[in-house]
Amino acid sequence: MIELATLLSALRERFAAAVEAAADERALDEVRVAYLGRNGEVTTIRRSIGKLPPERRPGAGKEINDAVAVMEALLQERHAQLEARDVEASLEQRIDVTFLGTPPQFGSLHPVRRVIEDACGYFERHGFAVVLGPEVEPDYYNFDALNIPPEHPAREGFDSFWVNDSLLLRPHTSPMQIRTMQLHPPPVAIVAPGRCYRRDAVDARHLFQFHQIEGLLVASGVHFGHLKGMLTGLCRTLFGAYQQVRFRPSFFPFTEPSAEVDTTCPKCGGRASACSMCGGSGWIELGGAGMVHPNVLREVGYDPEVVSGWAFGFGAERLALVRYDVDDVRRFVDGDPDFFEQLA
Amino acid sequence: MRIPISWLREYVDVPAESQAIAERLAMLGFPVAEIVRRPAIENVVVGRISSLERHPNADRLNLCRVDAGADAPLTIVTAATNVAAGQVVPVATIGARLPHLQIERRTMRGIASEGMLCSPDELALPPEWFEADGIMQLDAESTPGEDVVALLGLADDVLDVEITGNRVDAMSVIGLARELAASYRVPLRLPSFENPGRGEPEPLARVALESSDCSHFVLQRFDGLRATLGAARTRVRLALCGVRPINNVVDVSNYVMLETAQPLHVYDATHVAEQRLIVRDARPGERLLTLDGIERRLTPAALVVADEQGALGLAGVMGGAASEVGAQTTAILLEAATFAGARVRRTAQLFGLRTEASTRHEKSLAPALAEIAASRAAQMLLGMGARAYAPVAAGEQATPRAAVSRRRDDVTRLLGITLDDARIAGDLTALGCSVVASDGHLEIGAPAWRNDLAIAADFVEEVARMEGYDAIVAAMPTVASHEISSREYELEAGAARTMCALGYHETITYSLLGARSDNAVELRNPLSEDHRYLRTEIAPALLAQLARLAHPYRLFEIGHVFADEGGLVAETPVLAFAVAVERSGEPPWRDVEFLRCKGDIETLVRVLTGRRPRVERAERRGLHPGKCAALLVDDVPVAAFGRVDPREERAYAAPFALYAGSIRLDRLPEPLVPRYRPPSRYPSTYRDLALSVGAEVSAESVEATTTQAIGDICTAVRVFDEYRGPQVERGRKSLAVRATMRRFDGTITDEEADAAVARAVEALHKRLGATVRV
Ligand SMILES: [Zn+2]
Repeated sequence: MIELATLLSALRERFAAAVEAAADERALDEVRVAYLGRNGEVTTIRRSIGKLPPERRPGAGKEINDAVAVMEALLQERHAQLEARDVEASLEQRIDVTFLGTPPQFGSLHPVRRVIEDACGYFERHGFAVVLGPEVEPDYYNFDALNIPPEHPAREGFDSFWVNDSLLLRPHTSPMQIRTMQLHPPPVAIVAPGRCYRRDAVDARHLFQFHQIEGLLVASGVHFGHLKGMLTGLCRTLFGAYQQVRFRPSFFPFTEPSAEVDTTCPKCGGRASACSMCGGSGWIELGGAGMVHPNVLREVGYDPEVVSGWAFGFGAERLALVRYDVDDVRRFVDGDPDFFEQLA
Repeated sequence: MRIPISWLREYVDVPAESQAIAERLAMLGFPVAEIVRRPAIENVVVGRISSLERHPNADRLNLCRVDAGADAPLTIVTAATNVAAGQVVPVATIGARLPHLQIERRTMRGIASEGMLCSPDELALPPEWFEADGIMQLDAESTPGEDVVALLGLADDVLDVEITGNRVDAMSVIGLARELAASYRVPLRLPSFENPGRGEPEPLARVALESSDCSHFVLQRFDGLRATLGAARTRVRLALCGVRPINNVVDVSNYVMLETAQPLHVYDATHVAEQRLIVRDARPGERLLTLDGIERRLTPAALVVADEQGALGLAGVMGGAASEVGAQTTAILLEAATFAGARVRRTAQLFGLRTEASTRHEKSLAPALAEIAASRAAQMLLGMGARAYAPVAAGEQATPRAAVSRRRDDVTRLLGITLDDARIAGDLTALGCSVVASDGHLEIGAPAWRNDLAIAADFVEEVARMEGYDAIVAAMPTVASHEISSREYELEAGAARTMCALGYHETITYSLLGARSDNAVELRNPLSEDHRYLRTEIAPALLAQLARLAHPYRLFEIGHVFADEGGLVAETPVLAFAVAVERSGEPPWRDVEFLRCKGDIETLVRVLTGRRPRVERAERRGLHPGKCAALLVDDVPVAAFGRVDPREERAYAAPFALYAGSIRLDRLPEPLVPRYRPPSRYPSTYRDLALSVGAEVSAESVEATTTQAIGDICTAVRVFDEYRGPQVERGRKSLAVRATMRRFDGTITDEEADAAVARAVEALHKRLGATVRV
């Protein structure tokens, strides 16, 4: 019988060569199974120990175990080598990262809502509440309570849709001033976004329905400068950090003093002379504003000698046109997926 | 309103640059819509035709000798037919620049022409308002050689100024000149407003005010007039303002209106019975031929100026043809009246008329303007050689309004800037206000021509305008706490965000529709038949938008719907959605897209209310009768959705399967705050059941029955598959059900689970006729 030591030595050498030759983890595992597996060569040798005289058996067992330890170490070493090589190789992989990302099932918010949400969010951060109200309103809320009595020429300027003698589609969100102040004592700080209607023929600049964002702050010590401050912040929220705001005198029956509010043209930064958005003036008209008329405060039971307030009303479509550089207001009601996706 | 800058300069020194004037006006509250640039015109002078003869070589040409201020007369060849010796005309000399040509020495049929006589067209004036047939006529007293361009203001820019409704006084050259003078703090050069009229005419001119809609009426008689061509400069200024020149007398009335804002009217005195004017309601059926040549049938809603024999004109709107000033006129009655704005507006609307006069009257003029305008007109008519009698006035006299006494800190309180008394007084007096400071108060009086200054805030605005709105310093307010709720808005915003996350795109459709549906609210004055009714539902408009698309899409809109409820308008905020998906070849008892919509709407309701809605079969107009469901929260129906009725789907002609639904946002309860229950520490187990049930048995009833029968240890029961077909008896269906169970106090045993399922099978059999399939 060949000496066990010689046998093991030869086995180890063959094993070492096989391990060395194994090119991947699978081949390496095959080697492991062939030598160290349940029916591997080492098992065959172990079984042969039984034929030895009993006094030699423990020594032989130890020899085999030592050999197995060496072989397992080789296996481990080769495994580490192969793993390192695979990691190395994987670092060489290159994919086309410009390939189209898998689109998620995600919708979009309408640009008009986004403008309204951003504006309302700004005011909410400053302690204002956001209130909503009906679109069909009595003339009392639309006009009388806002210092526009019957026969006042300003009524005509609103060119409203009427349902009957006293009900109309609100031409502005200002009724919410009255509704809110009649429900709450001062201080009142609200914004009221919502749909309004005027009898404008539809063209690139007009729809007969539009959204307005109304703002109202009434408390003691409120002045015109606060209006300028808040609206400057609003314009910076909507259009960019460097926006300026300009007030021009104007007239509204429900405010005195009254102002038209302009902001620097965000497209040309107030510089270009051939700007398509501002027509070269450098300014964009946003809407009306002013200090709440004492008659309006009195109508809701406030004392104009004790509290003062301001209000403004901007068109949301107008804000969205400017913010997103949209050329035609009719696109807002077209339901065109391309429009939604571009502005999403 | 159109204002020639050359006319403004007559009263106030303003900057040379039109742009600078426009910007200043804008910052005073008068935005300039347009700066109308006039074409360049140079070297056109006054010429007097001394003689005229036929061109020796051409029948249709005339040879004029023209005194144009030079040492020797000019020889000018012209083809014009309206020229005659003695006329004074504009002459473009050699080298002159006109809008369309440059004048050079030219020989016409052998005779050298040393210039050109100009027609209105060549001076960029509308020929149809001037000498349409040829050369423009200048005033006889003009000096030959004088620069016509400067004299008439032909090359100066014209400002198109927008005047707000409260400032009718500024719908005038003097009004705007006053604003600019106050703003620049330069003198205002006003013409005399002294009325030169003296003595009483025979018979006396008189006025009777029989309507309270005329508060003040100034009437003045002038004799010795002859209606001729108006003065050239007057005519040009009128034309540049967009007013058609008529004759010298009418032109004066229009000129003074443009200058002072007070409309005037002139009557041929011989056609006013007894020289007595009456302001009254029109009589029913009364007829009036107005100056535009239209015979109008009047109603008492119209206010008229009349004599004893009948209406002479629509008060404040338009005069009548019968008393029109024309070639035969020698004496006139001049009217300067203050009518109630609302009445003039109604009268104008009644006849669909809008005139320069009515647009001013309807804004209610200050009575003091009537005297001012009458005086100014009298000065001008006197200058034309007329005899002016003393004016007579009827109605309230123009009394100065009482001064307003105000707290000294008004300006600071409203504007947030602090100005001393002298500064405030300076700003206000520059505009014509009177200001007296006394003991902590300011006594402020409004100028007589302004009708818009009554309360403290009005005067504060005047101070702000004078200081410039740029002087207002931006500041951030400190908002005190309040209890106003944003709940409705937050609900809408949350709904929109959830729909967006669910893959729906938000759109906006019109609230006004052409098709009438039941209970629709109808508009009294729609813009068109396409938009006559308020929408009662939103989904159809969404489906119409989807039908135009070439690919599947999901839309939603949040808005109001309206219903006529016995004359009252019920208004409801809703969220509507619509879905277009590829048609699938599914069996009639299954609809995967319906279930997807259901999942979406259930999720939405759960996110918004914190509750799981109950879903039950429903029927809704426009939706498929077998594929429609309602969602209920606390037994209140909050939503409905389903497959669009195939009959309606066809009408949209979309290549897709359509689904739609809507949620009543007003019915969603306050959100419930969910409570956490820690999971069992012990593992759960499940059993699957294959059941055969009648086709009409709902999944929900199977789940409910199973859950109840299993009892406390039940975690969930789900019907996860449905099958009908050859392997299943007719009228029945096969359902696969999974019941999950666990205990909180120990691991559930197989025996327990099997026993629970056995209870369930028995209950399902008893209540729903279910059998277990093997
Ligand atoms: Zn620009």
